[in-house]
Amino acid sequence: MSTGSISIGERIISRTESVWSHLRFLAEDRLACAGLITLGVFVFLGVTGPTIAPYHPIEDYVRTTQGDIVRLAPPSTDTPLGTTEYGKDVLSQFLAGAQPTLIVGLLGGVGTGALGFLVGLVSGYFGGWVDELLMRLTDLTFSLPFMPMALLLLTFITPNVWLITAIIVSFLWKMPARVVRSEVLSTRERTFVKSARASGASHLRTMFLHIAPNVLPIGFLYTAYGVAWAIAAQASLAFLGFGDPTTTSWGRMLRMVFESGTIRIAWWWVLPPAIGIAAVTTSVFFIGRAYEEMINPEIQNQ
Amino acid sequence: MSDFRRFLAKRLAVSALLTLISVTIIFFVLRLLPGSPFETLITTGNLSPEQAEEVFALYGLDKPLWQQYLVYLKNLLTFQFGYSILQSRPVWAILGPKLANTLVLLVPALVTTAIVSTAVGMYAGWNRGSTAETASIAVTTFLRSTPVFITAIFFLIAFSYTLGMVPAFGMRRVTATPNGLLDTYLSIDFLHHYLLPFTVTVLYYSGDFLLLARNGVVEKKGSEFLKLHRAKGLTENEQLVRAGRNSLLPVVTYFALRLGMIFQGLILLEVVFGWDGIGRALVLAIEQQDYPLVQAAVFIMALAVIIMNLLADVLCAYLDPTVNANGGAV
Repeated sequence: MSTGSISIGERIISRTESVWSHLRFLAEDRLACAGLITLGVFVFLGVTGPTIAPYHPIEDYVRTTQGDIVRLAPPSTDTPLGTTEYGKDVLSQFLAGAQPTLIVGLLGGVGTGALGFLVGLVSGYFGGWVDELLMRLTDLTFSLPFMPMALLLLTFITPNVWLITAIIVSFLWKMPARVVRSEVLSTRERTFVKSARASGASHLRTMFLHIAPNVLPIGFLYTAYGVAWAIAAQASLAFLGFGDPTTTSWGRMLRMVFESGTIRIAWWWVLPPAIGIAAVTTSVFFIGRAYEEMINPEIQNQ
Repeated sequence: MSDFRRFLAKRLAVSALLTLISVTIIFFVLRLLPGSPFETLITTGNLSPEQAEEVFALYGLDKPLWQQYLVYLKNLLTFQFGYSILQSRPVWAILGPKLANTLVLLVPALVTTAIVSTAVGMYAGWNRGSTAETASIAVTTFLRSTPVFITAIFFLIAFSYTLGMVPAFGMRRVTATPNGLLDTYLSIDFLHHYLLPFTVTVLYYSGDFLLLARNGVVEKKGSEFLKLHRAKGLTENEQLVRAGRNSLLPVVTYFALRLGMIFQGLILLEVVFGWDGIGRALVLAIEQQDYPLVQAAVFIMALAVIIMNLLADVLCAYLDPTVNANGGAV
């Protein structure tokens, strides 16, 4: 892909072209295409959801004309997705709940991808004791079970969106780190890297200008997976009752319906958040699969 | 010392160190937690200050932190987990049966999914581009990317609430009082409660095995040794068996890794299905601030991961001659 002889400008142009060809490829894969559309809808909901919600998801009650609170009403024209046991509007909660899901997903995914990419790059490039130290650190995060540790930490400090994101990143970066490292190990031995070093390029320059671009696709892929993992982790924590208590999220909605004991009847309260989470995480993986097919030469050259 | 032995010794030392670091982190996180289960007892006046001190001494909470830490390490090494604060029974007596319940659910499920989905994955990889391949990938991608509690809820709604085929909660009828192991795990009642959690577990883990096996076979399909087999006149199925055998290594190591993670991975599943396992016990113990119980449960989960990671690495280095024993195994 990149060699030492072409200029930065040419490199940017070829990068842009390859991004377009990637998108075209994804559009041709039907599953990935459906995934892209679903993600688009999700991002739209995450950005506009709270403002288009007809009620406040937590403070407002749905009331009859007589002023009585409407509990557990099935979907109707007034409340298209019905109401909860506590008399809240499910549609509003669903719309507003997309936002924390999106924030934690995006930040958690990007954080996971970026941190993992950096660790993998440095570890693979330098090798030796740096590699040893960083890889033992990934072993440590592997050996600390994520769910129990996250639960412990979240009883210790009141959960909020940022804290949950930080916990997710600090446990999930190991995945991209290992994969990126093994890619770097093979890239490092290629001629253009050696010639760059021989012609006097610094470590930093070699790492970021010569090796990083070749490892970037796998970094992107794991960033995308990171988004799905972060959404799943956040929803799981919220479902167990360790989510941010001040906001509505899809995981928290599921906890409420489960705790209230009405999960058996109130399907209109269960299905929107459940389908929402399932659709988003699956979409990311469909896109990831198609992308993986494209960048994995061993699968590709058949 | 051979290369492999040196690798093994190093890997063992690293695992021991990791265990020490993990238990240290667990200890200090727990000690930093605000409040204690005794606080409510004291503030409500159910315990006098003198009685409180006695109880503290009983649990070793009156000693300086470093002494508590040393005692804690010594106890873990001998699997002495102490007494549950809320239930006044030895922790092990509480957790042991729950651990068994978890294993009874998860080990058969994991073995089933490893065998079935690896076979399906190989078949899918061999018939690349077929409808069967696309469909199996679509279905398992959905199953493995969706958080397990959501799949569980979908299944509950479909098979338990709507069709009424299986019970939604617990391991056996509320009125059942099983005697002995056989009676506990081998009854129609138990099987009836077992079906749904078992199915969801199998489906949840199917995706990873299926994709690993499928990718392995796809990668092998164009390779030289298969061309030779084809030239020798082997049938399609015979070729598939050989391609499959040669792509089993990642599946085997992945199985070990998964086995290590099952306790923690299915905390949510146990909560949804009311399965009386160690994961659900942990969540309850955290809510009730029963430290000794939490400590033991997290320790068991961490230990399982560490041992299985070690096993996966060693298996990988032992089985695959191309893996560099100095840490080339990813």
